[in-house]
Amino acid sequence: MVRVATPVPWCDGRDGMYGWIWRHLPGNVWVRALISLVLVLAMVYVLFQYVFPWAEPLLPFNDVTVDNQ
Amino acid sequence: MAVSVFGELLITAGLVLGLFVVYSLWWTNVVADREAHKQGDKVRDGWAQDKGGPGALDTKAGIGFLHVPSMKNGEVLVEKGTSTKVLNDGVAGYYTDPVKSSLPMTGKDGNFTLAAHRDGHGAKFHNIDKVRKGDAIVFETKDKWYVYKAYAILPETSKFNVKVLQSVPQQSGKKKPGQYITLTTCTPVYTSRYRYVVWGELERVEKVDSDRTPPKELR
Repeated sequence: MVRVATPVPWCDGRDGMYGWIWRHLPGNVWVRALISLVLVLAMVYVLFQYVFPWAEPLLPFNDVTVDNQ
Repeated sequence: MAVSVFGELLITAGLVLGLFVVYSLWWTNVVADREAHKQGDKVRDGWAQDKGGPGALDTKAGIGFLHVPSMKNGEVLVEKGTSTKVLNDGVAGYYTDPVKSSLPMTGKDGNFTLAAHRDGHGAKFHNIDKVRKGDAIVFETKDKWYVYKAYAILPETSKFNVKVLQSVPQQSGKKKPGQYITLTTCTPVYTSRYRYVVWGELERVEKVDSDRTPPKELR
């Protein structure tokens, strides 16, 4: 395991994809934290606006009518 | 590295599923209620504007409001069709397929068949299990209040059971033609495995007065 210069603050030494993203964000810890937050919010937006509305009809949770099919 | 990425993907998947629950049970209600409100206001404005004139029935915008006091959910706008697109706006839809609903305004015998969501997208029929025999189901149009009384409940049936929509719903015990209303939604809550059905029969029709005083069942 390669020790990295600025690992994710709470998991010293270990590295995953979030660690990789963290290391590739510019700026100091605060700037990175801010960018991370924006990225997370952007992900939530994309999920709520596009992914979930698309996935919902494919899942058997919300059919309310009786029909022949 | 590979193991860390795999673990992180699992955590991410868990979070996404959690978000999906939030989306289904909360966010879709927010969006649907907003939309239902907007469309409901439009219908009321339309009613207010052409007072007295020969009312051309505008089925596109919604034909009226359903009030079921025992569901404790205020008024539910009723629109044409039971497609996902219609129902997701937080309204109840009347069936056009597989069995065409009859409409109370025609005054003819038949079955006014409706569907709405149990959870999410306004969850307009969430409390359908609170409706007891004898409870009032009131449908409000521009100039009439149609007061129905629930007389039969089918707490669980197959989603293929289109017989519940018959113009004389024999499954509810009726043999003769009459003016019926049928509410359908999914059950148990949070799933769509079965359908829950409530049947009502028209008790009386009241004319809307100038103050739109609701019938005594809604007061």
